[in-house]
Amino acid sequence: MSDPRDNVQQEFLAEAQELVEALSRDLLLLDEAHQRGERADSALINEIFRSVHTLKGIAGMFGYKHVGTIAHALEDLLDDLRLGRTSIGDPLLDVLFDSIERFQRLLALEDPQAPEEGPGVEAYVAAVRSIGTSPAEEEGDPLDQYAIGAAVLSVLTEYEEHRLRACIREGMQLYRLRATFDLTAIDDSIETLRDLVQDDAEIITYLPSLEGGDDESIELVVLLASRVPEPELKTHFEGQYGSVEAIEEQTHLPTLQPSLTSIPADAQSTSPQPDGDPGHASLRSVAESVRVDIRKLDDLMNVVGELALVRSAIGRVTERFSGDPKHRQSLRELDRVGHGFERQLAELRTRILDVRMVPLGQVFGKFARIVRQAARERDKQVRLVVTGANTEMDKLIVEELADPLMHLVRNAIDHGIEPVSMRESLAKPAEGTLALNAYHKGSNVVIEIEDDGGGMDAHKLRQAAVSQGLLTAEASHELTRQEMLNLVFVPGLSTRSEVTDMSGRGVGMDVVKTNILRMGGMLSIASERGIGTKITVTLPITLAIIRALIVTIGSRTFALPITAVREAIPYVPKDVRTIEGREVITMRGETLPICDLARLFGFRRATPDDSRFVVVGSMGNRDLGFVVDELVGQEDVITKSLGQSLSSVRGFAGAADLGDQNLALVLDAPALFTEYFEGPDGLSAVERRP
Amino acid sequence: MTVGAQRATLSPDPDLETGAVAVLAVLTGDEVYGFPLSSVREILMPPPLTEVPRAPAHFLGVIAVRGQIITLVDLPRLLNLAGAEGQPPGRVLLVDDGEELIGVAVDRVVQVYALQPDQIEYASAMNPDVSEHVVGVARVSLNSSTDTEEMLILLDPGALLGGLK
Repeated sequence: MSDPRDNVQQEFLAEAQELVEALSRDLLLLDEAHQRGERADSALINEIFRSVHTLKGIAGMFGYKHVGTIAHALEDLLDDLRLGRTSIGDPLLDVLFDSIERFQRLLALEDPQAPEEGPGVEAYVAAVRSIGTSPAEEEGDPLDQYAIGAAVLSVLTEYEEHRLRACIREGMQLYRLRATFDLTAIDDSIETLRDLVQDDAEIITYLPSLEGGDDESIELVVLLASRVPEPELKTHFEGQYGSVEAIEEQTHLPTLQPSLTSIPADAQSTSPQPDGDPGHASLRSVAESVRVDIRKLDDLMNVVGELALVRSAIGRVTERFSGDPKHRQSLRELDRVGHGFERQLAELRTRILDVRMVPLGQVFGKFARIVRQAARERDKQVRLVVTGANTEMDKLIVEELADPLMHLVRNAIDHGIEPVSMRESLAKPAEGTLALNAYHKGSNVVIEIEDDGGGMDAHKLRQAAVSQGLLTAEASHELTRQEMLNLVFVPGLSTRSEVTDMSGRGVGMDVVKTNILRMGGMLSIASERGIGTKITVTLPITLAIIRALIVTIGSRTFALPITAVREAIPYVPKDVRTIEGREVITMRGETLPICDLARLFGFRRATPDDSRFVVVGSMGNRDLGFVVDELVGQEDVITKSLGQSLSSVRGFAGAADLGDQNLALVLDAPALFTEYFEGPDGLSAVERRP
Repeated sequence: MTVGAQRATLSPDPDLETGAVAVLAVLTGDEVYGFPLSSVREILMPPPLTEVPRAPAHFLGVIAVRGQIITLVDLPRLLNLAGAEGQPPGRVLLVDDGEELIGVAVDRVVQVYALQPDQIEYASAMNPDVSEHVVGVARVSLNSSTDTEEMLILLDPGALLGGLK
């Protein structure tokens, strides 16, 4: 970590990863437009071109030879596409999509030059080259319709010329806009102009005019293509910017002299066209953001913790003078300063936590590609609908979530959504819908993965569990429908007769569940035959800070994440009954199993029975009452994991510093639930029934 | 440090001349143990201890050191010695076992010895029944005013603490 070369390497990988992700997102947009039969957005193709171009550049710098080779071939292909020398079609899209996987694999290599990768890369480059040039239909040069003038045409870059042709073909009218710009703010002004025209028109190029302007300003002639009728365009621009003049077909345009002072054509051809361009914003955000190793944020957080300790040490010193009337005035002041310090410290903590937040869209973006690919492989039609991609969560959680969510998404396509023919015979729309919804709910984020497929067959799950010996036939008949559905989380269970590329190996759902629980989250399933399946994942917004209920058990302090707590009620010893060796109470007519934590932890009880409390926890579809001694209150605590040496001790998610180096162990509610209902060895309670 | 049956030896301390090894001697119960000074990050007054229910008995609990949660182990228990039950530790050593920083509770810190190679009798040359975490022994005089020599048992933190996981 301290090796600067490693750091640089990490920076490169992070940047390359971001570029590949951006590329992946943009390719999907391109594919979507293509599938809808729309013309490709020139700004989007530019954005893709730029990502690949940048990737090529940095790969070259860091010796990622293969990445560079592929990026170079793609750059050529995309350049052809940009310039209309080739057109978008499935082969081209396939080659582009294929690159994502290749880039990711090559970036993960230990040896970026690995010679054994050579043949694969060469084959791929050959495939890219074979797309070749298949120019879009050419029906006479549209430029001939306009007498734009050789002088102007000669200074257009190949790209500008291509855009000019494309705009004319699309039936856009050409205009010449004369506007005077302040020399010192010319870049900003042009940027403003671009923003202004973006909905109405496309700026093909701008050239300085020889007339007008003085030492401080310059008159530019902007060549504009627009769909908006001339009068409207005029009201939009005239007066504010300058004159608008339509370029008539077959008429003569006053000669525009090219000038050495013009903006380098090169710079312009690679800058984005500003039509509602998402890349535009991201380019800016890149410039205004820095990449930070998340461990550095952890270090900062530790410093904040230290500051809190210093603050309480000052408080203790102050205490010593509190009896002395001489110091009363100073003490009052010190007290006020101390409170100010605490407020700022709390603010600092909040800000640092805020920095860790990233939008879930970072993960969702990856799924779009997987959905497309998986649907193609399975020969299914799937539409992905994402809501709440802006929902923010702790970076660490978002990263940890990628794999479990990916599994759920693949499951939905593989097992959930039916093939087109079956959907049609069921009078369902041929295209299945996979919805990813994210939203905040209190201090949690809820993520739903919902498909409108065939739903889960609860009885098939039960039969599979019995035939695979995970459950006795008798026990299986006592299961409720929900319990049958939950069998999907039992390790080793699979209802799929053949193993597919994607899922059906019988591993997965149990791993998904374990991973989600480890992050302090919850997972629940709802499924209706023929209608679809909805999996709901509930997670804390941040791993680092949680709202916790502070309780005491056997005079020790513990923290219980509030996400797991539904309510707390007084413990009434005489109401406790025993069913099958387990203690239960009745709450609002429902039987609630209870677990005496003092007994579980082997503590001698310090509080009389009738002044204790039952904290009702809820996890998925189950409730469990934890019997504790006292309720202290709610607090936001920073959870830190216990060391590796204590990893075999179950039931604790970490420890939280309550100040003055006093720690409270944070109870791992999911683990306690699992232990209670399934036993410490992970066996399900139903299996152990006689 | 210890791989399979191979016994660890103490490598000379680069900071010391003449190939000597710096060892921190600590007293626990009636015995004196030595940790390679290079593995000891810090010596602390014991911070407030939070016990961890259901953890094996040699774990005293967890402590907070500069925002980090550190597992505290009881040296006598770890060495299967009948230590003084329930005695609060006198000092805590933060020992790096190569993977994790672990707190080791001891009664008292004695001093640092610069041991010459010929002062150390390595376990590999001794009876094969010696525990894996013992690197060897050295004879040192604990008290400079008397000539009585004490046996200093040299520990391998990697084998001693790494085995907890």
